[in-house]
Amino acid sequence: MAGEVKKSGKMTVFRTDRHEDVAAMVLVGCLVVIVLCYMAFIVPTVTVGAPMDGKLVAVAVTESGMVKKGEPLYSFEVKEKKWSQGKVEEKLVVREIKSAAGGKVLKIVAKPGDELKKGKPIVVLEHEKGTLP
Amino acid sequence: MEDKGVFGKIIAILPGLALMVGTLWVLRTWVEPWMANTVLFGQKGWLVKVLSLNYILLAIIVGMLYRNLLFGGKIPAWAEEGFRTTRLFIKAGVIMLGSLYTIQSLAKVGGIAILLIMTFVFGTIFFVMFLGRLMGMDRSLIGVMAAACGVCGVSAAVATSPAVKAKPSDVALVIATILGFGIMTMFVSPFVGKALQMSDYQFGAWVGTGILNSGQVLATCLAFNPTIAPGTAVAYGEIWNVVRVISIPFVVFFITMWFWRAEAQAEHLSLAGILKDKFPIFVIGFFGMTFLSSVGAIGAEGSNTLHLMRDVMSWIFGIGLVGQGAYIDIREIKTAGGKPLKVGLAAGCLKYVVALLVVMFFVSKESSF
Repeated sequence: MAGEVKKSGKMTVFRTDRHEDVAAMVLVGCLVVIVLCYMAFIVPTVTVGAPMDGKLVAVAVTESGMVKKGEPLYSFEVKEKKWSQGKVEEKLVVREIKSAAGGKVLKIVAKPGDELKKGKPIVVLEHEKGTLP
Repeated sequence: MEDKGVFGKIIAILPGLALMVGTLWVLRTWVEPWMANTVLFGQKGWLVKVLSLNYILLAIIVGMLYRNLLFGGKIPAWAEEGFRTTRLFIKAGVIMLGSLYTIQSLAKVGGIAILLIMTFVFGTIFFVMFLGRLMGMDRSLIGVMAAACGVCGVSAAVATSPAVKAKPSDVALVIATILGFGIMTMFVSPFVGKALQMSDYQFGAWVGTGILNSGQVLATCLAFNPTIAPGTAVAYGEIWNVVRVISIPFVVFFITMWFWRAEAQAEHLSLAGILKDKFPIFVIGFFGMTFLSSVGAIGAEGSNTLHLMRDVMSWIFGIGLVGQGAYIDIREIKTAGGKPLKVGLAAGCLKYVVALLVVMFFVSKESSF
């Protein structure tokens, strides 16, 4: 009976903690491999969205054009605020967003001058198979 | 279990596991978005912003409700095997947490900030270990409390618990203690900061060091200065808080070593022997993920790949936390006594006051980074 009570309190289906540790690492290893393979080889297109609220200044790529990893995709204007001496100083900063992987530009969803909320799509890419977008 | 065979064991796991996954799916798909859009006290998303109710906390709460209300205090036989996968998911989630950090991210914050935060983290851990042993607390409970008070509450408590074999009720006690302390400091700190004419940088540094929970650091900084922007209290508080969070693997490793060293002495075994046989090797997996993240093998920061990876991680953690909640027996908490509360409050207050003194005397009003 005491054994049953002890067993009912256990949070594991494994024989030992070491088995459970190995199982956890195997599980994570499998999940990482699945995610990486899915993103590298299976996912057909990726949508690159606005990194934060702001304005699209310029798009550096063209539809049906090719882009390499690290090349600029678009410029994005964001409002940076600096709190100094009890006052908020705001300034507009233009950031260049680069491509995480090489590939073909399928579609440009937004146009320069658009005010976009964080996550709103800007560019749709068909990345090179085997790379991580 | 023994007579079922591998296939039978997997079948036995499915009902309980399905309940855990289904619960999390409902929480993430329906409940959390509903809370984010609900207007309470004239504020949209009050439940999320003020009470910090996210799917993680909800998962634990619903798990607790399952056991203590729905199941009448005991997980039923049909769900028991599934709920026993809890620790597997928690450990897998902790391993995946390693992907949040890079060796480079530490370098950005500055040596002095790191030194100060680490001093407070490990100083608090030593204090909790000393006081806990003085008061005769259980070693597992001391380990979890030390991690929670030293680093940043819930994450550290959850990350340390499997390594020191803590019971779910221990983790629940620790979380309740530090969250209670955090709520108190959330209301007091902004008044102290204004009264002492602290700058945003000083206030952020103090709160980021002295308050135990990440969400409460955020809320306290916003109460002091509601502006969310670089150079405000919340920006500085979060930087200091992030450094503290980064120390989780080191803290888990240190506390694990402390716990298992004493086990070795108790069993008259060598430390090397006990580490070889019992050291929780999933911690190595955590560092493995940090290494992969540092070399960019799991996608660049901001990439769709890393976004998906973190989404998977949040699901793994969430499933484990539904189970974790279901192993919290409220009757056990009631019988645990007031020692953890005393130790937690003593450590929290000491850290809070000493951090204030250090910041006031040694940290300049202007930011150094």
